[in-house]
Amino acid sequence: MESLFVQLLVIGIKILVILGVVLGLGAYLTLVERKVAAHIQRRPGPMVVGWHGLLQPLADGLKLITKEDIFPRAGNRFLYNLALVLALVPAVLVFAVVPFGPEFEVFGVKVKPILTDVNVGLLLVFALGSMAVYAIALAGWASNSKYALIGSMRKAGIIVSYEVVITFAVMGPVILAGTLSTYEIVQQQINQKLWYIWLQPIAFVVYMFAMLAETGRVPFDIQEAEAELVTGFTVEYGGIKFGLFPLVEWYVEVLSLSAIAVVLFLGGWSPINIPFLGFIDPLFFLGPLSPFVWFILKVALLFLFVLWLHWTLPRYRIDQITETAWKVMLPLTFVNLVLTAVLAPIVWR
Amino acid sequence: MDYLGFVIFGFVMLGIALLMVFLNYLLGPKAPSALKDYPYECGVPLYDKSAQATFHQGYYLLGLLLLLFDIEAAFLFPWTVVYRYLGVFGFVEMFLFIFILIYGLLYAWRKGALDWQFEEEYID
Repeated sequence: MESLFVQLLVIGIKILVILGVVLGLGAYLTLVERKVAAHIQRRPGPMVVGWHGLLQPLADGLKLITKEDIFPRAGNRFLYNLALVLALVPAVLVFAVVPFGPEFEVFGVKVKPILTDVNVGLLLVFALGSMAVYAIALAGWASNSKYALIGSMRKAGIIVSYEVVITFAVMGPVILAGTLSTYEIVQQQINQKLWYIWLQPIAFVVYMFAMLAETGRVPFDIQEAEAELVTGFTVEYGGIKFGLFPLVEWYVEVLSLSAIAVVLFLGGWSPINIPFLGFIDPLFFLGPLSPFVWFILKVALLFLFVLWLHWTLPRYRIDQITETAWKVMLPLTFVNLVLTAVLAPIVWR
Repeated sequence: MDYLGFVIFGFVMLGIALLMVFLNYLLGPKAPSALKDYPYECGVPLYDKSAQATFHQGYYLLGLLLLLFDIEAAFLFPWTVVYRYLGVFGFVEMFLFIFILIYGLLYAWRKGALDWQFEEEYID
């Protein structure tokens, strides 16, 4: 009984931390994005609300939640609202299997900084990731607007194409680690003294492409395409409902897929790696905090890389995007899979 | 018991999502007007009241291809986990499987299923 209570307490604290990280940080990433975009375009960005616009996300949120609830007259109200639920819930649930650091001990209780360390963690990530397609297809369909329908169909087409690519891309690291548990994959990389990016450069590049496509980032943001579709499938949404779709798509999903990329390819919470020799930790003075800092640092770097691309590149057409997925990315992942199967025994010894 | 945290988290998120759905209704003003909920179409009257009509058939093909290749990916995942213990037998077996997969991809490619099918006579 005692242990169950402790277990529930630990679960509760973890959920609060994840919610804080995902929704709090997610909201503040809007400010980061606007600042990065502004400085790339040589303008200051938000400066008015708070010091250097530091309170801007709060002002935006307050504004969004006090808007009128408008529903397009010919749409389907149930599906319209269901789309929002389907977009938000799976995207945040992915963080349940993201390991933030190694196991540690507090008050005699061993705590893994991961909500559910299940042995099919990675499968769970992609199962939940596939749910996004329902949210988007429903949002476009239920709005009953031509712009929304075109936008949602484009996005659904991109997701179904890159869903295949991303599942084949992650098979390389899984072969090397021999497990689907996200926590164990990082542990294996530390044991083998090898970040999997050194043996899986093809898979990493393909994964990054698929990540940009699934999150609707430039150069694959054809579903939004401000110039032709205004904002794609969110055009008939208003207030906080309008706010949540980009929040989920551009921040929560980029964050979760970056975290999974760090877990699979960049050694999770381990410091800088020299292949097969060991790890160098320039942050050793942080003591037990250093793994967490490393993890956050790597995720932040990947996130900033995505932002940098977003505000630098032009966008592709829908046929170019899907043809790239099937004709270039998918064959590349097959090549990578066979290469990995041949090379894997070197790593296991 | 492994999934306990996941289930609790799922219900918490469901609660938050439902709250978000009703938040504007609870906090926002209510001032309906005749054209406020009119579907957006660049400010002109709608030519066609319903937008839930046909769309490009290329999307159906993509959905069909997804079904085939995602199921095959589901077959490959167990192999990737236990590949270490299968040895040469596992390698040859799976190489044959991947070969058949690639053959299927080539077939779809040759049939033109991967091409975004514009009607070219109208473009020229």
